[in-house]
Amino acid sequence: MNIARIIFVALVVFVIQMTAIHRIAVAGCAPDLMVILIVSLVLERGPVPAVVIGFLLGFLQDLGNASFLGMNALSKSVLSYGVSRLGGGLLPENVLYKGFIIFAACLLNDIIVLPIATSFSIGEIFVSFFRYSLLSALYSALVGVFIFGLLELLTRRVVRPGVGH
Amino acid sequence: MHFFSFLFDKHLDKTVLAVAVALAIVLLSLGEQSQIRSVRAITSVLLYPVNRVTGSFASVEALREENAQLRAMVATLYQERERLLQFGVERNRLRKLLDLKEDSFFRFLPCEVTARSSTSFIHSIMVDRGAADSVRVGMAVVGYRGLVGRVSQVFPAASQVLLINNKSISVSCTNRRSRVVGMLEWDRGNFFRLEYVGKEEDVRMGDTLLTSGLGLLFPRGFPVGSVFQIADEKGGIAKRVRIASFANLNALEELFIVTGAREWNDTGILDEIDKLEQRRIRKR
Repeated sequence: MNIARIIFVALVVFVIQMTAIHRIAVAGCAPDLMVILIVSLVLERGPVPAVVIGFLLGFLQDLGNASFLGMNALSKSVLSYGVSRLGGGLLPENVLYKGFIIFAACLLNDIIVLPIATSFSIGEIFVSFFRYSLLSALYSALVGVFIFGLLELLTRRVVRPGVGH
Repeated sequence: MHFFSFLFDKHLDKTVLAVAVALAIVLLSLGEQSQIRSVRAITSVLLYPVNRVTGSFASVEALREENAQLRAMVATLYQERERLLQFGVERNRLRKLLDLKEDSFFRFLPCEVTARSSTSFIHSIMVDRGAADSVRVGMAVVGYRGLVGRVSQVFPAASQVLLINNKSISVSCTNRRSRVVGMLEWDRGNFFRLEYVGKEEDVRMGDTLLTSGLGLLFPRGFPVGSVFQIADEKGGIAKRVRIASFANLNALEELFIVTGAREWNDTGILDEIDKLEQRRIRKR
């Protein structure tokens, strides 16, 4: 994916995350499309571009927040590095594996974000993590699997007519 | 040279990560810079048209039902207002006799939610009214049912509102029946705790809480929520009072910014109701 396309997709995902994603929230938990996008972008890239992509997408997300500028830049940089280092080599083509990576990435994101957002209140960190983060991560993973599955299906259909010729 | 080679040749990935983390921490400690504020203003303007489009996909049937409910509510409130106006005149006359300051209504500026915080733990929203509509930082924001939050940042055509379930907001509340005062602190979801309520204070299930106006953060008299659980703290001197907010903070769409005071006898609201009624008749 070239840089212009990445920027375009990032902006679209950011706008959807800010304006429409709450409409499909379940029990107050909505999927994190930014994490799904980051996983899809950095899974097969090296750690250096992964960190740059994570930082820039996190910063974009921070621009839409009321407070804590830099919080998402921090969490997304770290999770991009982690996904790139640990996640890329094992089963890159497996959709379910990507879902698992998204689940882990969402949890890691919340582990970094929660202490900052709750001003290091231990009780609130635990309650929010078990009440929202787990469900939200699961939801994100399911949405991620659906999106990756759909993309794979579409790619196959596009490729198939060329195979016969 | 050896040090740079160690950083950029051997451990380039870790160096880039360290730089990114350091930069993020610097941003976190920056506070509210004006440049960032202007970038955020642009973001809010970008989000507005998209939200309008996604909002228009709402079910027509649901809108029709809501419209019918609102019309019924307007009719009821119109009657109620007439009755309250009489009480108001009488009350102000009595307050004057006691040499107390005259009360006033509030002026409401309708607004729509254009975006929510992208992080679920930062409870804030963006609304489509800004400095151009005379919105100022600190103005209270209410919904049909009760208090929602407070304007925290104002852009030319949009404003950022911190919701009452944001960690940095505490609301001073008073019990409508017994006038007991406490501080509202967010618990989870739409549930709150009322802090600093003594064991002997008169608080009952179902009591309604209003903003007390103390601290001048929120104007007095806006409904906030109702008491649904009371327990004594073990060995403590305080009561544990739990509150359910009237406004559903997870599903906010149309809100009102409390922009200022309005006199009791101001008939502007009647003109607005007449205009709505005329529009409805024309549509038919």
